[in-house]
Amino acid sequence: MITKAAVLVSASVTAASSSSSKSLINPSHRYLCLERLSFVNSLSVSALAIKWRSVSNCSPNKFSRIMKTRASTQPLKNADELIASVETFIFDCDGVIWKGDKLIDGVPETLDMLRSKGKRLVFVTNNSTKSRKQYGKKFETLGLNVNEEEIFASSFAAAAYLKSINFPKDKKVYVIGEDGILKELELAGFQYLGGPDDGGKKIELKPGFLMEHDKDVGAVVVGFDRYFNYYKVQYGTLCIRENPGCLFIATNRDAVTHLTDAQEWAGGGSMVGAICGSTQREPLIVGKPSTFMMDYLANKFGILKSQICMVGDRLDTDILFGQNGGCKTLLVLSGVTTLSMLQSPSNSIQPDFYSNKISDFLSLKAATV
Amino acid sequence: MKGENPNPSPRSGAAAELLCGVNAKALLDSVDAFLFDCDGVIWKGDKLIDGVSQTLDLLRSKGKKLVFVTNNSTKSRAQYANKFRSLGLSVTQDEIFSSSFAAAMYLKVNHFPPNKKAYVIGGEGILQELQLAGFTALGGPEDGEKRVQLKSSCFFEHDKNVGAVVVGLDPDINYYKLQYGTLCIRENPGCLFIATNCDSVGHMTDLQEWPGAGCMVGAICGSTGREPIVVGKPSTFMMEFLLQKFHMSPSRMCMVGDRLDTDILFGQNAGCKTLLVLSGVTTESILGDSSNSIQPDYYTSKVSDILKLLGE
Repeated sequence: MITKAAVLVSASVTAASSSSSKSLINPSHRYLCLERLSFVNSLSVSALAIKWRSVSNCSPNKFSRIMKTRASTQPLKNADELIASVETFIFDCDGVIWKGDKLIDGVPETLDMLRSKGKRLVFVTNNSTKSRKQYGKKFETLGLNVNEEEIFASSFAAAAYLKSINFPKDKKVYVIGEDGILKELELAGFQYLGGPDDGGKKIELKPGFLMEHDKDVGAVVVGFDRYFNYYKVQYGTLCIRENPGCLFIATNRDAVTHLTDAQEWAGGGSMVGAICGSTQREPLIVGKPSTFMMDYLANKFGILKSQICMVGDRLDTDILFGQNGGCKTLLVLSGVTTLSMLQSPSNSIQPDFYSNKISDFLSLKAATV
Repeated sequence: MKGENPNPSPRSGAAAELLCGVNAKALLDSVDAFLFDCDGVIWKGDKLIDGVSQTLDLLRSKGKKLVFVTNNSTKSRAQYANKFRSLGLSVTQDEIFSSSFAAAMYLKVNHFPPNKKAYVIGGEGILQELQLAGFTALGGPEDGEKRVQLKSSCFFEHDKNVGAVVVGLDPDINYYKLQYGTLCIRENPGCLFIATNCDSVGHMTDLQEWPGAGCMVGAICGSTGREPIVVGKPSTFMMEFLLQKFHMSPSRMCMVGDRLDTDILFGQNAGCKTLLVLSGVTTESILGDSSNSIQPDYYTSKVSDILKLLGE
């Protein structure tokens, strides 16, 4: 009769740390890379406790701010006061402006009101499936007056990052992701391989079969990919493991996302997690909560971060992004986060304010939540 | 059931000894059983590594028990027995401990309810072992053909009775499976997340390394924010079953493998002697690198060195 037995095992899996990751440990950064497997002595099961190393978000910019203990969040009561205190509003898109292809109630009027008060509006999304131009079209289709120059998608961020480090034009980029990334790379003048086309490629694990890969690939960019498959994983893995100095860049690590309005879908965090698993490397993250896009747009528009309010629906990307950047933060409950998640004792991320949805700005008093 | 392990006796920084005539003989005399990893030790993909057959025969002739412990979950024990046979090696099913078998046994010893189902992101081997153990398994290779429609009108359904998602090496990985597994883990209360193993790469073919289960498991960790229960090496879960079969002390066993963070760690954690072979994923420079903290007792280039060094 096989009985449960307690086992005590200690294991260590060395995750090769990326030399480009900064050493600042911020406990509220949730970029988790497998560092240690340790097995707990347990009477019931052979339980594996994986110890996660909180890695810094690998912000490509120097970032030495230490997280202060924050006061608890409060419900937004005086919208006018908040609006008057900032010059710029940065909005996340999924769960804030729209859900899937459906506009959230009251959004057009709210944006119009803010513009009429002279506020600058910027849209920062981790969704890398579209380019800025394609997002511009989406806004237009939904009847919103938004300029392409006001949109910062993580697809754009990946290309902008490569530009900022003078990624050599004779090197190529392998993409595990969708059209948005390809378009932005092309616009920035980089050569790319992969993308949706590789979704149709199959491999046969048989004797004598060798998968080749381009030795000129100097960066692998990973984002959400509905055409994800083993071919792409192997190609990306070979580049990262075998091409000297090859960068591993993630557009974002969102676990799930509202790709349709009806439910959550596995997000970019899944594809990135896969490549972390096969390479034992940590990626450089260009999307939220990395402040790369914040620094980029602050620089571009000449705005002070203290004059910005970040509005988003996700604590570990949007709100952290705002906090890391030194902005005010407003969480809206129209997306992935519920009030109970916000108030849960296991949540350590406290936005300055929270509200139901952005159209609450239109009422003088916040809607009761 | 003896299974409680004392703290593993680390080698305290003592470097691995290169296997030679003298220590090979000493090793042989000090153990009654050899535990072999398969990929990179016995075979590479579907090609037998030179001299393995003769070496196994020698060990058996000296009265040593042989056991094969593999993290590769794509086959069941029965399918592995067939693979051994096709390569000219006579190994019985009950000498094989695959992580596919380990996953099914984990559910069994933890009394996984019969009315619950398991969703499999992995190969036929996992499905077969689960079914053999009496469980209902969904998913597996056939979900490799399924596609996802990201449209408002298309709601992605999942079975609310799935009580465990079992993830292993899956060359047919796709978004459908990632989404299915993610929904089960996130939305079915108490749903277990079990990984057969977390190997980053392995020799799925003879010519190069390929992403291992660590990739698929990493994907699900990424979408759920959860940690898996790992049943394969270096977890010593499978050791419980081995000990049941052999009634011998782990100190009288030698684990032979090609990977430090699974095979050698497994052996060390269980209190076995350990022999690293360089015929798989680990090179001598990786072994000797300052970033490596796992030192096997011995190392050698391949399994057939045992034969050679014993002068047989």
